[in-house]
Amino acid sequence: MNPDLIAAGGFVLLFVLMLLRVPVGMAMALVGVGGYAMLVNSTAALKLIGQTSMRTVTDYTFGVIPMFLLMGAFVSTSGISKELFRAANTFLGHRRGGLGIATIAACGGFAAISGSSVATAATFSTVAYPEMRRFGYPQSFATGVIAAGGTLGAMLPPSTVLAVYAIITQQDIGKLFVAGVLPGLLAICMHMITIAIIAHVKPDFLPAAPRASWEERIAALKNVWAPLVLFIFVIGGLYGGLFTPTEAGGMGAGGAFLIGVLRGRLSREGIRNSLLQATRTAAAVFTVLIGALLFGYFLTITQTPQKVTEFLTSLGLGRYGVLLLIMLMYLVLGCLMDAMAMIILTVPIIFPVITHLGFDPIWFGVIIVMTVELGLIHPPVGMNVFVIKSVIPEVSFSTIFKGVIPFICADLVRLGILIAFPIIALYLPSRM
Amino acid sequence: MQRSLMDRFIDGIEWIAAIFVGIVAADIFISVLLRKFFSASIPDSYDFGRLLLGILIFWGIAATSYRGTHITVDLLYSSSGPRAQRLMDVFATAVLLFVVTVQTYTLYDKVQQTRIDNVLTYDLNWPTWPFFAVAWIGDVSAVLLIAIRTYRLIFHPEDMERGHPHHSEAAES
Repeated sequence: MNPDLIAAGGFVLLFVLMLLRVPVGMAMALVGVGGYAMLVNSTAALKLIGQTSMRTVTDYTFGVIPMFLLMGAFVSTSGISKELFRAANTFLGHRRGGLGIATIAACGGFAAISGSSVATAATFSTVAYPEMRRFGYPQSFATGVIAAGGTLGAMLPPSTVLAVYAIITQQDIGKLFVAGVLPGLLAICMHMITIAIIAHVKPDFLPAAPRASWEERIAALKNVWAPLVLFIFVIGGLYGGLFTPTEAGGMGAGGAFLIGVLRGRLSREGIRNSLLQATRTAAAVFTVLIGALLFGYFLTITQTPQKVTEFLTSLGLGRYGVLLLIMLMYLVLGCLMDAMAMIILTVPIIFPVITHLGFDPIWFGVIIVMTVELGLIHPPVGMNVFVIKSVIPEVSFSTIFKGVIPFICADLVRLGILIAFPIIALYLPSRM
Repeated sequence: MQRSLMDRFIDGIEWIAAIFVGIVAADIFISVLLRKFFSASIPDSYDFGRLLLGILIFWGIAATSYRGTHITVDLLYSSSGPRAQRLMDVFATAVLLFVVTVQTYTLYDKVQQTRIDNVLTYDLNWPTWPFFAVAWIGDVSAVLLIAIRTYRLIFHPEDMERGHPHHSEAAES
């Protein structure tokens, strides 16, 4: 049978299965192995399943995912979110829009440890929203700032999405983590500037909270220094070549456990919940990884990436034109599926195009994660928006989407800056 | 009574995976500390780490498959009525059952082959196939649990509500 026809049929079947809510990893595995069996033979295809599954789950490098998930779970369970917000609030809350700026700062700190956008948005919906409302911040702004702050989880290390991108494209996980640092900090700064501009343009829109004394500020800092030092130690160790990424994750998990227990913040129940939470998420991520690798064999045998590369480069758009086209595709896909599914599904096809056009794979990882993260907050799907709505049911979707518009604009500007100046993403990895 | 026993069994499977996460983290943490501060190492720390990782993932997949917390695309599902949602749940679980059953069958070959090839760990020369076998048992558990999930979704959907004591953040990114 014609390989092109099988490839096209495979993609149609894959999308149908996913729309019918078959788990993404399982749908990819089924289509990948089925297609491979049709084009090669069923014995070879069946052999691929056992070999690929076992090889993937016993790859020490991939252990980075459960280890950082466990670190995030321990730190989150220890109640760091409230402490981060309180600390940021004592320093910034007295300015107009200060509570919003403090939310962004705390989201950045929390995201850096948890590595999860959705968890960040859910957590700060309960921590920061009531406080912002208490001081008269409008619902749209308060929810918008939390949705935007949540997206920092995918960029600041350790990011699960960046780790998965690194595994699929066989890039250095450590370099990708480090590459996310400056763009992540840029995101924090730009979100803060956005809030400052809103507060400047509409002075009564975002009232200031009372100024905290220096005693209060120092007391608030006492509660957050240990987890932040752990984060700097882990990422610094990774950057300085002290640990491999998996070891950094293990050190982070062990360190977070010790800090939580020694400070009396991690109960037996907390430890239990953290272990379960890390296990569940790791199992779900590994399922899509196995599926993606099996689907990759199908893509290779049908030469789909090469054909897509030929097609896109023959359009005569130039390398930046093709890049723009790819990013537009991701923005549209962002309306339909979540970030992880998008990365798993599309990167194996798009990545060869990017390397063919001479773009840096590490830089592209940062760009693509940033683009899919926009999908977390832009309408009509916006995963973070759904999460906030589920935590704060009295706020309507349209109110939240209204609140995120200024941050979407800021993110688009940031995307432009990173495309114009790849050095922002590549400077730190180049020094490793 | 039967149901509560079943739910405890599912919790137990999830717990096995969770304990292995803790063991892998402890293995890595202690071996890095020993290497950096005492120039010592745990024999086969690397091999144990990766083999235990395999076990935790397969046992974790068993629990995740039962609880229905895999990463999915919910576009159509979230805009459908309860009847269509139930049909989608049944269909998706049946496909999951088929894929995981085939995976379990092929993994058995892999375990057998590893035993025949007598693959050993690097330092202690321990055979690796028993670790693969424990991971494989996790996959067998996944088949059993997905079969139970399919049965419950078709005949006792009300049990599935109770069977979801924890909500996962599987789709986190």
